[in-house]
Amino acid sequence: MKTTLVIDTATDRTTAGLVRDGVVISELHHDDPLAHGEVLPKLVAALLAENLAIDLVAIGMGPGPFTGLRVGIAFGQSFALARNIPWVGVSSLAAMASAHNDTEFIVAIDARRREYFCEHYRGGKLYAPGRALQREELSNSTLPIYLEPPAALGLAALASTALSVAEPIYIRKPDAYPAPKGVKVRPWTHTDLVPIYSLERAIYLEDPWSFEQFKEEFAGKSRQYLVAEFGGNIVGYAGIMLAGDVTDILTLTVAPDFRRRGIAREFLKRMIDWSRNQKVDAMMLEMRVGNVEAEPLYLENGFRKIAERADYYGPGITAVVMRKELGR
Amino acid sequence: MISQPLVLGIETSCDETAVGIVRGRTLLANVISSSVEEHARFGGVVPEIASRAHLEAMPYVIKQALRDAKVSLSDIDAVGVTAGPGLIGALLVGTGAAHGIALALDKPLYGVNHLSAHLAVDALDQSRDLSPAIGLLVSGGHSSIIEVTDLALAVKVLGSTIDDAAGEAFDKIARVLELDFPGGPAIDRLALSGDPAAIDFPRGLQSSDFNFSFSGLKSAVARYLQQTPEAIRADVAASFQEAVVDVLLTKALRACAETGIAALLIAGGVAANSRLRAEAARRCQMAGVELRIPPMELCTDNGVMVAALTSLALSAGVAPSAIGFPTLSTVPLNQPTWA
Ligand SMILES: [Zn+2]
Repeated sequence: MKTTLVIDTATDRTTAGLVRDGVVISELHHDDPLAHGEVLPKLVAALLAENLAIDLVAIGMGPGPFTGLRVGIAFGQSFALARNIPWVGVSSLAAMASAHNDTEFIVAIDARRREYFCEHYRGGKLYAPGRALQREELSNSTLPIYLEPPAALGLAALASTALSVAEPIYIRKPDAYPAPKGVKVRPWTHTDLVPIYSLERAIYLEDPWSFEQFKEEFAGKSRQYLVAEFGGNIVGYAGIMLAGDVTDILTLTVAPDFRRRGIAREFLKRMIDWSRNQKVDAMMLEMRVGNVEAEPLYLENGFRKIAERADYYGPGITAVVMRKELGR
Repeated sequence: MISQPLVLGIETSCDETAVGIVRGRTLLANVISSSVEEHARFGGVVPEIASRAHLEAMPYVIKQALRDAKVSLSDIDAVGVTAGPGLIGALLVGTGAAHGIALALDKPLYGVNHLSAHLAVDALDQSRDLSPAIGLLVSGGHSSIIEVTDLALAVKVLGSTIDDAAGEAFDKIARVLELDFPGGPAIDRLALSGDPAAIDFPRGLQSSDFNFSFSGLKSAVARYLQQTPEAIRADVAASFQEAVVDVLLTKALRACAETGIAALLIAGGVAANSRLRAEAARRCQMAGVELRIPPMELCTDNGVMVAALTSLALSAGVAPSAIGFPTLSTVPLNQPTWA
């Protein structure tokens, strides 16, 4: 007889279960996308009250939103270490798929930011490897899509096969990964205006700022503009101005090839510093609705949505107004 | 009550994955894996990178600490873990691992305050008994003066920074001087060849309370560099550092005088600053105050401090934390352990 402690935190659901020789003895779960850290220990404590000898820990390795995912892995690995028993990592998506036998289907885990981590199965086999799909792309699919979180039975069954996974499954790149060495962030100078303007036109096809606007900004007072430079080229720029008792982020732009490398984060950090030095109460910004790349960065840095302005960026394009309090 | 508990402490609040082991007040192991080099490229800590690194390093760091201490996990009497303040995604890796061990072994678990833990390394100096002190806690996130009667039970905040923490000011000035991240050690090094009396930077809040303000000093340094392009950078670094050290020690020693507690305990990352250590020694001697300052390697973030505070809490009969206690990004200093 072999008893497996099963843990999965790859979805909004925290699951913990005890499975003995293919039979579920006990399975507990709790649905809360932000509480894996608090919930998992309580669920496992409740399972341990049954006082069973545990032989193996099976851990769902994702893919899934990272913060919750890591709670389950850190917990399961150290539990196994302390009990001196082995642990096995399994794919949470594969465990979800094991509950279905349609000829063709998709299993998906909400990855937040309007993305889903998906696997496509056909004829009982993995047909397309895991990848992140936009919500819109996924909803265009004509195949059945299953979103039920993995169950203890499926996870435990995978743990007894050869399909183990040793590392957490991170389909998405980290929010920031090392920028190529040599990206330098500095205040702008007059000679940056032309390259900034050409980057602006390449990125904001609909409604770019004019060259005149940039020249006015350059001459303007109570502003801070920063550029990111790589190999002599401007690969990003950001500007903020003092507007009464708040500062207002005017633009924060990074060239597509240089996104998710910490450049926007660095810009924002410096603009927050600058704003604090201006002794203002808060920072404000307007952002297009559905700007999926920028929104998490702002939320993470304490910005909250306070209003929406319809047609702000042209007909049908709504702006979200965000604000960050600076008071201490 | 176990008189000499064997305690494992886990710390993951920022970019250090650290595990320490103590028995009572004796240090047995101090293992640290840092992702600081990855962060250096960004000029600051990137939360997602820190959290990934914590998860990768955790099993190795725990095992190495057990090897160093020559104990096994089943010998442990209690587990302590930083529950805040810190980066939530990073903290959760530590609290997840700590819960796993504590539940697996059915041992008490303490969620501890990172800031109190910095002060608790003082307990590892067994050359004297535990006694009250004025604590000067200076790190990247905090600058506070604390009346410490009993670390596990009674700490009272006398004053704190009203804007930037001392360590934060070091990082920002390092950036203005185009030095490497982290800024503290970089300024310390540069200042060695500079004249601390070259420039008379403002000392900020000269009020009679125990609060600090470093933002005026920070702006003054930036302004000075702008207006004096020919300035000798080593002199700027040394003079800036001198101003910070002067303010910190003046207020801390005044707290000693006003409370009648003739002991000063300096802890936190900035306590590794060589000028602060030298000046503190000089001024404490003049004032007849006993200086307690942990060895350099215990000033920056580590797991030993967490284990030390947990050990004190256990010995003082403090109840363990509830299973599933929350992690918090900000916590008041006067809450040493979690309910
Ligand atoms: Zn610290």
